[in-house]
Amino acid sequence: MSSFTAEVYQNEYLPLGGAEVNAIVTVTSAGGAARAGPAAGAGARRPPDAAEIIIIDTSGSMDVPKGKIKAAREATSVAIDCIRDGVAFGVIAGTDVARMVYPDHGGLQLASDVTRNAAKAAVAGLQAGGGTAIGSWLTVARHMFGTRAQDRVCHAILLTDGENQSESAEELDRVLDTCEGHFQCDCRGVGSDWEVSELRRVASKLLGTVDIIADPADMASDFRAMIETAMGKATRSVSLRLWTPQGATVAFVRQVAPTIEDLTERAAAVDARTVEYPTGTWGSESRDYHLCIDVAPREVGDEMLVGRLSLVEGNKVLGQALIKAIWTDDQQLSTRINREVAHYTGQAELADVIQDGLEARKAGDEATATVKLGRAVQLASESGNDGTMKLLQAVVEVDDPATGTVRLKREVADVDEMALDTRSTKTVRTGPGGA
Amino acid sequence: MTSEPQLSCAACAAPLAAGDRFCEQCGARSSDEEPAGPGCQACGAPAEALDDEGYCTICGVRERPASNRVELDLVIAAAVSDQGRVHRRNEDAFALGVAGERSVAVVVCDGISSASAGDSAAQSAAAAARETLATAIDAGRDRRDAIGDAIQAAHEAVERVEWTARADRDMPSCTLVAALWYEGEIAIGWLGDSRAYWVAAGDIRQLTTDDSWAEEQIAEGLLTREQASRDPRFHSITHWVGADAPERPPRVVVIRPDRPGRLVLCTDGLWNYAPSPGELGTLVDALPEQAAPAAVARSLTETALARGGRDNITVAVVDVGVE
Repeated sequence: MSSFTAEVYQNEYLPLGGAEVNAIVTVTSAGGAARAGPAAGAGARRPPDAAEIIIIDTSGSMDVPKGKIKAAREATSVAIDCIRDGVAFGVIAGTDVARMVYPDHGGLQLASDVTRNAAKAAVAGLQAGGGTAIGSWLTVARHMFGTRAQDRVCHAILLTDGENQSESAEELDRVLDTCEGHFQCDCRGVGSDWEVSELRRVASKLLGTVDIIADPADMASDFRAMIETAMGKATRSVSLRLWTPQGATVAFVRQVAPTIEDLTERAAAVDARTVEYPTGTWGSESRDYHLCIDVAPREVGDEMLVGRLSLVEGNKVLGQALIKAIWTDDQQLSTRINREVAHYTGQAELADVIQDGLEARKAGDEATATVKLGRAVQLASESGNDGTMKLLQAVVEVDDPATGTVRLKREVADVDEMALDTRSTKTVRTGPGGA
Repeated sequence: MTSEPQLSCAACAAPLAAGDRFCEQCGARSSDEEPAGPGCQACGAPAEALDDEGYCTICGVRERPASNRVELDLVIAAAVSDQGRVHRRNEDAFALGVAGERSVAVVVCDGISSASAGDSAAQSAAAAARETLATAIDAGRDRRDAIGDAIQAAHEAVERVEWTARADRDMPSCTLVAALWYEGEIAIGWLGDSRAYWVAAGDIRQLTTDDSWAEEQIAEGLLTREQASRDPRFHSITHWVGADAPERPPRVVVIRPDRPGRLVLCTDGLWNYAPSPGELGTLVDALPEQAAPAAVARSLTETALARGGRDNITVAVVDVGVE
């Protein structure tokens, strides 16, 4: 069991008539994380039961360029080596259908030296050929995870290099609905022929990450990192449970660090004034959430509990944070904008203007693209988001970051544009140097 | 197969658990037992719906703090210190002593809100200063010296206040205004923006000049009072009691009243609502001539509360007779 803490950053003072309460809640899960790899440290806490499936795209395009399927095979082998003893695991090869590579029939196998070697041997024989139907791959994964999804941590890695051509978007959505809550899935696109918005949809729905692997040579290290993170999960699925008082409405709840993820629509009602937002499993990590709650204004001097945010695993409360409002006629108090709230409002806008700017650029609307990406440069520079700044510089020439004066680059590599799109939601924390 | 009958709220039909004394969804009472108290003033939910910190678990509104007021009535002198309507604790303090018919020592302090333990600082400073002044009356000491010693004692007392260092908090500190009246003369000394007024027929004066950024700007002719009052630094004080206070002797004035009147000491929780001597004088004049000091102090406090009570309010009133 890991321990959770929740810290609230907000200006609780509202002016007379003030109805919008903003707060940043930093949730930190410390300790209790399982050690990665077969050689889990002696004395380490026993991690929860886990299951891992690696889904590799083996469509025809994986042969172009030649090294891609080879890199995928190697990366999968590296990932298999990182699976902890006793974790149930399997490998799926995906084309327009999904094929179980290891084990080739039946349920998942428990990891051991013997099964890991057998899996690697099976993976070594993978060849490319056929179409791409991500939904069918996920369906097979869900069946392989089986009915024990609730009492173990189920995680998948999905690697693809192309668009989901062999099935409709509606079909994929339907599959995502059936998989939601059964397992988490980190998605990776290799090369530049895959669709960012499509993989983002999969990752978002299945509470995973999405990223680009521009160079197949980087695949192995990325796979190792993903598996190590998955093996480090110390909790089962954790939810944010939010109570708000009668008469209050939740304007939005979004994760704002390490990446932007809007959770508002994921609210599941617990009772009339309480909702839950799933956040998946947690290792040793810290995530920030921005909550915006609308309330009915009160008189000067009144104080209101506007939200009680609890972290729950099942029905066990792991931590709690209180969001408050106090109405005052002291403008010095009510006009102070909380630093964290301002920062993350800016980071959310940064993600939006990047996606809008790239969209406009694709549509040939260079004026809009220049304005949006210029604003993005300004926001990235102000907030010290160096990672995003670097990605922006691959797409625009920056004349003045302070004013957001930029020129669109004529020649932009597809992978650079996709990297910017994919990583547009990555945020930095406040404070010197960011995090 | 048998099952418990499903209980539900008579008001909103939400399910109730056995033993629930109110509906957690709408706040309606579901028990015939006597309510435990007055309940939520905002939504009417029963007392059971208030959590340990006084927040209503239905509408979220917190119970208003019970009036927190300290009064001392020593007939010829009286003082009131009220928490006000906004602050959740009283960081003002007073100390009052009467030594005979025409001898009074009175101290009013206002703990600085950006400081740690402002309430303890104010209480310690006021008590220590009054103690020194009382001894001075007994010894018949020079009033100016006595005020200086009293403020020194206040500094030392505040330095002894226990506090926890916090990055966003200053060291314990407070304002202070002290008055010593005996044998027909009154000495008034101060640090910060707590004030003293003399209110007599045809003679209404503010005896103190705030140690504040605003007064300094006005004194040097840099800003008009009107301009200074609009500046956010208007309330910043330049001198105070505490370990981190600037080294400077306190200012002291001495008056010898030629007619009976009232000496009023107060914190900014009152004078914010009556900033000029005229305004405060009008409030005092509106009371019956024979009103006792306690009645005057209460009335001024009520006025500040009625006008918003945004800060802690402390008022001390001395009936100054003339031989």
